[in-house]
Order: sequence, then C-alpha cells, then structure tokens
Amino acid sequence: MRKADLNVRIAVTGAGIICSIGRNKEEVWSSIRESRAGIGVMSRFQGETFPTDIAAEVNVDLDEMLPISMRESKRLSRSDLLAIVAAREALAQADEGATSPLPRERAIVSTGTSTGGLLEGEEYYFRRLEKGRRRARASRVLQQPTSGPSEAVAGVFGLGGGVMSNATACASAGAAIGVAADFLRSNHADVAIAGGSDALCRLTYSGFNVLQAVDPAPCSPFGADRKGITLGEGAAYLILERWDDAVARGAKIIAELRGYGATCDAHHPTAPAEDGRGAEAAMNGALGDGNVAAASIQYVNAHGTGTLLNDSAETKAIISAIGSDVPVSSSKSFFGHTLGAAGGIEAVITVLALQNQLAPPTLRLDRAADDCTLDYVPHTPRPLPMTNVLSNTFGFGGSNVSLLFSRVL
Amino acid sequence: MNRVAITGIGVVAPGAVGVDAFRGLLRGAESGVRPVERFDTVGLSAHNAGLIRDFAPKQFIAPGKMRRMNMLSRFAVSAAHLALLDSGATIAPESGVVLGTAFGPVQTSIEYMKEYVEKGAALAPPQLFAESVANAPGSHIAIEAGFRGFNVTVTQRESSALAAAMYAASQIVKGTVPAALLGGVEEVNEMIFSVLDRIGALAHANGAVGEMARPFDRRRNGLSIGEGSAVLLAESPEQARDRAKVYGWLSGFGIGRDTTAKISDWGEGDDQVAAAMRSAIEDADLTLDDIDAVYASANGTIRGDRLEYRALQTLFGSRLPPVVATKGWFGEYCAGGALQLIAALLALGEQSLHASYGFEEGDPEMQLDVTREARPLALRNVLVNSLSAGGGIVCTVISREGA
Repeated sequence: MRKADLNVRIAVTGAGIICSIGRNKEEVWSSIRESRAGIGVMSRFQGETFPTDIAAEVNVDLDEMLPISMRESKRLSRSDLLAIVAAREALAQADEGATSPLPRERAIVSTGTSTGGLLEGEEYYFRRLEKGRRRARASRVLQQPTSGPSEAVAGVFGLGGGVMSNATACASAGAAIGVAADFLRSNHADVAIAGGSDALCRLTYSGFNVLQAVDPAPCSPFGADRKGITLGEGAAYLILERWDDAVARGAKIIAELRGYGATCDAHHPTAPAEDGRGAEAAMNGALGDGNVAAASIQYVNAHGTGTLLNDSAETKAIISAIGSDVPVSSSKSFFGHTLGAAGGIEAVITVLALQNQLAPPTLRLDRAADDCTLDYVPHTPRPLPMTNVLSNTFGFGGSNVSLLFSRVL
Repeated sequence: MNRVAITGIGVVAPGAVGVDAFRGLLRGAESGVRPVERFDTVGLSAHNAGLIRDFAPKQFIAPGKMRRMNMLSRFAVSAAHLALLDSGATIAPESGVVLGTAFGPVQTSIEYMKEYVEKGAALAPPQLFAESVANAPGSHIAIEAGFRGFNVTVTQRESSALAAAMYAASQIVKGTVPAALLGGVEEVNEMIFSVLDRIGALAHANGAVGEMARPFDRRRNGLSIGEGSAVLLAESPEQARDRAKVYGWLSGFGIGRDTTAKISDWGEGDDQVAAAMRSAIEDADLTLDDIDAVYASANGTIRGDRLEYRALQTLFGSRLPPVVATKGWFGEYCAGGALQLIAALLALGEQSLHASYGFEEGDPEMQLDVTREARPLALRNVLVNSLSAGGGIVCTVISREGA
C-alpha cells in the first residue's frame, strides 16, 4: 500500500461556505470584519417548544442557489443542499484563472456530517405516525444516511474519484479534511473536495437542550457567564490538490494544508477530558505532521463551543501544546456550533483569516472566565501577521482533530 | 512494500458470535438470514433478514456500562472485545479506532423521537441523545480499550467497512498509529427494512421462487439485509512480528466512483468500477495474474451484480479467477460490510474458497465461475470488492504473505 508522503505539499485552491452569517466567502468575511453575528430567535420547527429558542439558522432560499432542478432538489436532504451550495463556490474558485480546469473525474469527496438527512428522517417519522408505513412517502428518507452530502455533491458535479463520509459527531469535518489530505499524499486520490455539512434538526436541538448544553442567550465562548452552545447549521468545502498539480494547472493557491492530528480522549461518551489531554495530543499531532514548531503558530481558531467543560479544557490544551501567548478565538460566537460541519466551516474561516492577515474575534466576550486565561481576541477583529495557524475541532466520544494551515504568498 | 497485518478478529454476526462460530457458519448449510421476528413484516414483500439472535452482551460488557449503550454500541464493543481476546496481545494505547456504518443509529433516533413526541423536547432522555451519534460505538470501544489514537466513524453505504479499513491501513502505513481496531456495525430496524422493501431493494418471493438473496443467480431480485458488528485488529509489520497468528495482510486499496449512478441505485460505469479494482491491485504492487480469487460485492440486486460482473470482465477478461459471493450468508450491510472481508481472510488461511450461498442457477448473461461449494485452492492474494448504491466503490487486496 502506498504510504502518505509527507514531502508532498497540499495546496488549497478553492473554498466555499454557507452559514448563518453569509451565503459565500464574501458575505461571511464581511460579517466577520464587521463583528456581525448571525444568531437569532429560531424560526424552524414552529409550534414545537424547546427550553431555549435561539439558533444560527441559514435563512435564505437554497433552491435559488442550486445548479439543479426543483425536481432533483426535492429528493435531497437539507444537509445535501447546503453541501451543494458550498461545493459549487469552492469548485468555481479552483477553476478561476487556472489554465486548465480541475480534473473532476478524479476528485474524491470527503464530507463530515453528524446529522446527514436526519431532519428528513424526522419528517418521515412524523408522517408515519400520522399515516402509517404504507402511505408515508419514502423518497426523501433515502437520503437520511450520513453518506448523503458526499454523494449529492459527487452526483451534481460529476466527481469520479470516490466518496467517503465521516460521521464522527462534531469532529467529523476535521477528520474528513485530514484523511483527504493523506489520500492525496499517498496518491489514492488526485483531487479532494473536503469539508462538512449539517442542517439543524429537532433531535440535535432538543438533545443538546436535554444535556443542558445550550446557552439560553447567544453563546459566549470562553466567557465567565458562558452556559453552553448555540446551535447552528451550514456547510463548507475546501478544494485540496497536490502542490505540483495545482501549479501545473495554473491554479491560484490560497493556502497550504500543512498537516493534521487526530486523537481520542478515551474518557467519556459526551464530555471532554478535563485536562484537555486529547486536544493537546491532536495539536501536537498536527505540528508533527506539518513539521512546524509550536513557537511558529501565530493563531488558533478554537473549537470554543461555549460549554463550561470544552472551553476550559481547550484552554489548558492550547497552553500545553502551543503556549500562553498565542491569540485564540472562537468563530462559533458568529454562527454557532454547526456540529458535523464545524470543522469545514471553521477551516474556511481560518484560510480567510490567513489570506486577510486578520484574526476573527470572539464576540460577546466582556469578561473571560477565570479558567480561560488566553488572549481570545474579544469583540473586534485584529490585524495579525500569521504564517502558521491551527483550526481545532472536537466532538462527542472525545474525538479531536486539529488542522494546520500555512499562509501562501 | 507496506502491508498491514490482521492479527485478531471479533464477530457478532447473525447465527455466529466469535470468529470460530463465523468460520463454521460459512462452512455449514444454513444461512444466518432467517424470518424476521423482531418486527411485523405483514404487508411487505420481504420477510427475512440477518438479525442477531442468542447474543448475550453481558458476557463482554459490565452491566453498569451496558445500560448506557444502544444496540450498536453493544454489538461493536463486544466485537472489539472478541478481536482483542482473539489476538491475545497487549496493544499500545496510541492505537486508533475506525468503524464503518451505513445507517448508523437510526433506531436510537426513532426511540428519541418517540420520547420527543410523547414527553416533549425538554424531557427526552439525555442518554438516548448521547447514543444517537453515529460514532458512539467507536468511542465506547476507545474507552474500553484505552485507545487514544484517532477515533473516527466513516459512512459509505455498502462500502462503509472497507472505507474504514482503508482509513485504518493508511494511518498504520503512515506511522500515525502502531495498530487500529477497524470494522463495521449495523442495526436493522423496522423503518430501514420497510423503506428498503418499499423501494423494491429487498429480495422477495416471486411465484415458486422463494425469498432469498441470490447473488449472480439469474433469478435474483434484491438483497437481504443484515446487522451485527465485526472488528479486526490491524497492526504494522513490526508489531505483527511478535503475534501468535496473522490472518492475512491488507496490501492495497482502490477508491473510486461510478459517475453514471443515481442516488440509491447502481449505475452502469463498469470502466470506473474496473479502474478502482485495478487501483487496489496496483497499490498492492501486484498484477492481475497474482489475484487468485474475488470476494465479490454481489448482493443479489439485478443492477448491482450486473455492474460488478461487467467490471470484472472488463478488468480480467478471460483471466478472471473464481468468484465468491458471501452476502447470502449474512446479508448486505451486515457489520457495516466487514464480514465479507473477514470471510476472504479466513479463506486465505484455510486455502479454500467458500460456497456462494444463494447462487444456484447461473445467469446466461454473466459468464462467471461462481463457487457453489467450498473449493480448496492455493490462494496468495484475493480481491475484495464493495460497490455501493449511489456509485461509491472501495476495493481492497488481501494477501497471505506480509511485508
């Protein structure tokens, strides 16, 4: 079996994103620059009551943004549709100004998703309660498996390199991006479109509430009064290629995916290890994979969910792995926790931060908690010279992924 | 040459708990696919599935822990326990875990939604939510085994377990971890069964021809579904040197996609399927002549089996080795697809191909040497295919000889 060659550099040649603060990179970055969060009263699931009522929803007409007919889109899940919108933007950027187009027939799709078509599964469940199994239409529930978004993207854009999906809870997209890089390094794939997608659904909205992990107010990562997450939704993809291939194609390289680390706390089904050991090991893994020294990391885009446990454990982990001077921020203060998509959405934010040499802020951080002692870039973005940065993504089951990106001039 | 050793196997399969029982199942006369008793199939066209029976997870899991696990987690943790027990080795805590699952925790989600409807969004049980994430089984395995390397769950329909194997092998070869538990897990419930039945995917009785998945048979009309878990302990050649036994080696992988496939169906892109098979063989540093048998993806669907046949013809032509279809023994999706890989590994060790359960009458359109009975044969390398509905393809080559 061919081995991942660490001398092979991974170029990022495209990025696409949709979440509560924008339908594309431009809109998202304007919101970041202007410190404008996309969190409000939830409009989904009218008539059903939850203990909390806010969310970071994508409130735009997706059908208008899709390169497919209504007939086709009716057979897909909302997570599929969000994925298609983000993938379309990423694929377009990868071809922009290039002398030859991305070889789509050899592109692998690697998507992280936690819920997949669960929203459609819920609706099917309700219809069956009402009408019985014989009369409930089954077409959309076929897209319930978490393999849906990868397949939808591959199908719509004619991508022939393979499909692989990652359902590792909130670490899904980080893991999906990492393994895609390795498959490029080992020549098991030639191009990767890697990211994540997740739509809000009842099960997760209610589930995080019963775990008492949802903040009744917009989340306040690292804050003294933080009470939990804000649930969000969205999708994002990166286009990854081997460096030489991207150069040969005349593609514009927007960042380098330098390496990644993936670990497990092996501690608890839902809670992170309090000492942050798994998170620390993931960051160390990324540094080793990318052959970058801890002292050369200038910014960390934190997982920063806003839960009591995560933010304090992650702070400890960053201090141990990187140091106590590195600026850190949580973009979840803008668009909430997008679960399985988070690793993809925040990877795109991290790439944009590198390109713009601007660290996104942590919003609403009036007073950091006593156990959160780092510089969290509160309130407003900060111009910051950055060459190497980390993007952290952790999930249920104690799975941790850290991605290491480097600036390309 | 980088190869990854399989040094332990744990199986929780329909009609077989433990690798030896599974070995026996495949050499016996009865399939693990039987009439469904767990839920009502009245009004459906299919009535059989490969369900787990006579399984006592308390043999493998402490009661206090078991209460917090759904059925998937119980299957997977038991299979992982059996795999480690089978190897007899002490495995380094830096090791990883990767499971594949096609449907994941659908039943747990339904149980949650039932509570949601009856008690309201605020009062559904948190325990059910914790187990409603697809990676819960994998994280329980890590906690039980104390493995702190990567812990991921991959989903790619019928190819889920081979995708998991590819992930694990790539990381062992890369040197990220010395070892990994890899495999798959699946649970069959009424909703999955009835939806697949509704779209005509399941094998069903047709006149005098009884309900049975009949891979490559001219009378085939659908697949049977199965559940359970199978976990393999994969290790680097250095680790494997000290092991009492090595079942075989993962030596190459190919991943691809049939771009002619529509959602939830097999396409007609036999060139693309053949290319993925060729990639796996090349990745193993082998040629077509080195492949002594194919453990096929064939599950008894009309289009899926035809696509695989055409791809095999395209790739091998007149040099096509014997083909074994295993899914009649336990069903599609069973253990996330990991049992087919395990069957191929057992064949390597026993130097004997398995009978293809359900294959009786050849299809005149498919000139294939499909095994009807067990067949002793010198086996050096075996190609294992998985073609999933929607176009995903993962193929692997397993070898008797290591690195």
